[in-house]
Amino acid sequence: MSPGGLRVLIVEDEAFIALELECLLEEAGHLPVGVATRSGEAIALARDLAPDVALVDIHLADGPTGVTVAQALSARPGTTVLFTTANAKRVPPDFAGAAGIVAKPYSERVIRAALAYVSGRYHGGVPTEPPDGMVLAPAP
Amino acid sequence: MIGLDAPREAGTGNGRTAKVPYSNAPFSDAPFLAAFSASEAPMVMTDPAQADNPVVFVNDAFCRLTGYAAGDVLGRNCRFLQGPDTDPGDIARVRDAVAQGEPIRVDLLNYRKDGRPFWNAMTLTPVRDEAGTVRSYFAVLTDVTRTRQAERALVREKDGLAQDLEARNRALQTALDQQTALLHEVDHRVKNNLQVISSLVLLKARRARDTACREALRSMADRIGALSTAHRLLYAVSDVARFDLRDFAADFATDLEAGLDPDRIALSIDVEAVAVPVSMAAPLALLVHELAVNAVRHAFPDERRGRVAITARAEDEHLILDIRDDGVGLAAQPDNPEGFGRDLVGMLVRQLRGSLTFEELNPGTHAHVVLPLGTTR
Repeated sequence: MSPGGLRVLIVEDEAFIALELECLLEEAGHLPVGVATRSGEAIALARDLAPDVALVDIHLADGPTGVTVAQALSARPGTTVLFTTANAKRVPPDFAGAAGIVAKPYSERVIRAALAYVSGRYHGGVPTEPPDGMVLAPAP
Repeated sequence: MIGLDAPREAGTGNGRTAKVPYSNAPFSDAPFLAAFSASEAPMVMTDPAQADNPVVFVNDAFCRLTGYAAGDVLGRNCRFLQGPDTDPGDIARVRDAVAQGEPIRVDLLNYRKDGRPFWNAMTLTPVRDEAGTVRSYFAVLTDVTRTRQAERALVREKDGLAQDLEARNRALQTALDQQTALLHEVDHRVKNNLQVISSLVLLKARRARDTACREALRSMADRIGALSTAHRLLYAVSDVARFDLRDFAADFATDLEAGLDPDRIALSIDVEAVAVPVSMAAPLALLVHELAVNAVRHAFPDERRGRVAITARAEDEHLILDIRDDGVGLAAQPDNPEGFGRDLVGMLVRQLRGSLTFEELNPGTHAHVVLPLGTTR
């Protein structure tokens, strides 16, 4: 993990997407700390691993529970939640505490840029502009 | 309500025995009495000079309508015609008119002797003597039950039609909601699957030891990426039948630039907001991708610097797409033995029923594409 690297929890029920995301995160200098495919698993892993960032899909193995996961994880101080979903319409208006949405299908570039943005904005990295493929949560 | 002179003169069974009203009449009243008695219009007359304004005359038509014999009603106040569902407001209006000595026309729900109700459109007229004193009240009754029933039936029918219409609208809305939900579900699945496919190819690319193999897989992932961008934008707008080329170009350009050294190759994009039929979105996205990547990858070998310009505009129902570079030119580019990109471009232009020409710019290459925008496929 590089100096600006983040500890990232992946909440995603598609194995190939999760695996590719792990590779991409490592390549971009971050540390994938775990993969959860269900909501309960995601909340337990976040408690044990205290990640800097959680990338959360809305549809998980136990249904459209990503919103609940986002609420639980974003309530933890120090964890920033980003939705990665093909179903942005399911995100509630307050984004359930998430900082933004990366719409699927995304490109590697957007994931890299979104994490660079989160690193700069919330975790003491170098501030950057929000990437074009990411929708930011409304200001609270 | 009524009354020739008095109830004592109004006589027996059929009410025809009432005497001629006023004795000072200059001519015989007998013909008028006979006319009233024989009239097909139900009539009744009362005498306000007597206590409780009793009936003093009814004709046969009245008896036929109400089922009462003259003997049943003479000497009684007309309120025997009222019943449980008679509107107290209507009764009050009649009472007020009588008190004021005013004529009135009113629809009353009245009751026959056997208890069956009927709608009575009644005109009630005060009859005055020379001094202006009201000597009697004269009422003509009309049975409008059928009219009222017809009106009610009409209202019911109208209500029924309105309810039918509402039910149909609700059914249509439900069907539309279901279709929209289905569309969103399909959209979601397609996007998710594109992400899975892209992830699979990229995973394989990461593990490939052979550089050529890795490059081939990455370029496939880029093509899937172009399709993904088109698809992501397809349902982002409310009009699902159109696809905006400018939105696509903006996203595509950012992805393309991410892989470029901006000091070596400058990319400029000038794409009009052209609404493209959705059926063209995927092949058009791939076509733009192939031509642009071809220019960026092959026109600038050996760290050569230069620029790539992509422009698109609509003209006479055609999309004009131009991709220019100031690189080494087609002739100088090494022949790619597989030539997949070039083949792909040819196939896509054919699929879109368009034309493609390459022009040597010295330096560089100009790809000129013309595609019909018509809805025909």
